[in-house]
Amino acid sequence: MSKIDLNNISHSYNPNDPNPIYALNPFSMTWENGKRYAILGPSGCGKTTMLNIVSGLVRPSAGNILFDDKDVTDLKTENRNIAQVFQFPVIYNTMTVYENLAFPLKCRDFLKDKIDERVKSVADILNLQSFLNSPARKLTADQKQLISLGRGLVREDVAAVLMDEPLTVIDPDLKFRLRRKLKEINEEFKTTLVYVTHDQNEAMTFADNIIVMSEGEVVQAGTPKELFERPNTTFVGYFIGSPAMNLFETEASSNDSVKINNTIIKTNTNLSNLKDKKIKLGIRSEFIKIAKNQRENLLDVDVEKVEDLGNYKLLTAKMGNLTIKSKINRETEIPSSDVKLYIPAEKCCVYKEEKLI
Amino acid sequence: MGKLYKFLKYSFITIWTVFVVAPFLWALTTSFKDFNSVNGGATYIPWVDFEPKLEGWKVLIKSPANGGVDIIEPYFNSLFVTCTASLISIVLGTLSAYALSRFTFKAGFVKNNDITFFFISQRIMPPIVLSIPFFLFLGAIDLLDSLIGLIVVYIVLLMPIAVWIMVDFFNKVPREIDETALIDGCNPYQAFFKVVLPNSIPGLIVAGMFCIIFGWIDFFFAFILTFTEVQLLPVKIVALNSSITPWWSLSASALVSVAPLIVVAFIVERYLSKGNLSGAIK
Repeated sequence: MSKIDLNNISHSYNPNDPNPIYALNPFSMTWENGKRYAILGPSGCGKTTMLNIVSGLVRPSAGNILFDDKDVTDLKTENRNIAQVFQFPVIYNTMTVYENLAFPLKCRDFLKDKIDERVKSVADILNLQSFLNSPARKLTADQKQLISLGRGLVREDVAAVLMDEPLTVIDPDLKFRLRRKLKEINEEFKTTLVYVTHDQNEAMTFADNIIVMSEGEVVQAGTPKELFERPNTTFVGYFIGSPAMNLFETEASSNDSVKINNTIIKTNTNLSNLKDKKIKLGIRSEFIKIAKNQRENLLDVDVEKVEDLGNYKLLTAKMGNLTIKSKINRETEIPSSDVKLYIPAEKCCVYKEEKLI
Repeated sequence: MGKLYKFLKYSFITIWTVFVVAPFLWALTTSFKDFNSVNGGATYIPWVDFEPKLEGWKVLIKSPANGGVDIIEPYFNSLFVTCTASLISIVLGTLSAYALSRFTFKAGFVKNNDITFFFISQRIMPPIVLSIPFFLFLGAIDLLDSLIGLIVVYIVLLMPIAVWIMVDFFNKVPREIDETALIDGCNPYQAFFKVVLPNSIPGLIVAGMFCIIFGWIDFFFAFILTFTEVQLLPVKIVALNSSITPWWSLSASALVSVAPLIVVAFIVERYLSKGNLSGAIK
């Protein structure tokens, strides 16, 4: 339960090379005590490196880490009082479930009664009570992962629980319940939870704050709403949301509007300096509506296909060589011809060189 | 289909068992025969086919003065040398293997893999190449014809096996196990002894088994590096031979010398068949 500061952290696995390759480019960030964070990004973007730096398994090439304003950059993992859960269950094969859960406390010389109390309460939370005395290696993969998780939660005073895609091996139903459980634990015990995932739904439903990473760079950190509505870069727009954000290559035609296939689309962005520059217009498919009585910001499109996805319909439309995707209410009728799509100006994001203006 | 498969399976197992057990049966019966029974062709059933005699076994414990070949002392010498050398090899080999598997070493162009290969390369050379250096080396430090000298030599021969097996084994134990132990609050030594080592018992057993087998059956170095003071079992068994091949005592000694390995095999088999070797994680 600490505030964690990452100051100008960067990491390279070959720092002595004349041209080091950075797994993590310099960044600074603060993780508030008791909040839930998700680190989101495709495989190989540096998420795990970031976690390992916090837990001390990797020493950053530059920068320092503070736990509650105390510099722990050179503190060894075993002295940091941090918990980390890996993607695949790591259990101590030779021990029982009880011994597995008790291990982190035993290593720190807790009293027997205290250990017993903590192990039982964690086992309660994770529904492991009936397995406490079985050998851990006899359990199924998802039960094993529960043990890993339990070892992370068994210490009350832990600085933070870091989870590296912990629910990958767990079946969907249990996954959902566990995520809720983690949320409850966080709310009840104010444990700082950091959750690495490449699944945006997981990140969006779980975290107060999401950190999006790409190629060793922290691209954007913010609340799920911010990331969804105002993606900082086209990458975030593309990576978050399903389907990905609609992105159109275009150029500014006036101070606040762009031209898409000869149609003027107004935005709320000041584009006065960008006349005739290559820019991109991004809009979420959720915000594109079938026009009813709007007069401007309309795109004339041909319907290519409509997919019924249960709670909504996904409309794929063509305008010349542009493809536009729009999420439409179940009830909304889609006219067979002469379809106009309305692009709300306040939801438009304009990108220059892939960055939000 | 199922029945046919079962039939074939059990037929195969039966044939294989006969194939494996027959030499033992042969040795067992032969060890109770005398010159006449041996020369009379293959016979197996005592008291019917031949009259059992204990002569072959008695020779093994009689002192040379009484016309026997005393194998008791060489037997314990062999046990002592094999067990000590295996134990030291396993301890040193396991520690080096863990280091080679987990830490990065660099001395010029020499890296972890080169060091591992260096260990294995000791076994690539034909033993005859090593015999003269070993002889001169042991002579120089006055350990020729001694148990300690033999132990030293056997460590050189056995440790590569231990390192080789254990490096491979540790490489298959995910690093996350060590890392989790660190996160849970162990220091690196505790992580090794409390977590990694208990998980590696199957590997240790396999490595130990190989060390014991290779140490126990070695004739070459025991023959070259000892003379009269110290003798190991394989050398002594060869000494049983004479102008008339004593099949009975040779059979008896073969059985006695193979006995410890059979015991080891039975103990080890229990651990190996538990399926602990794989799937420690995931």
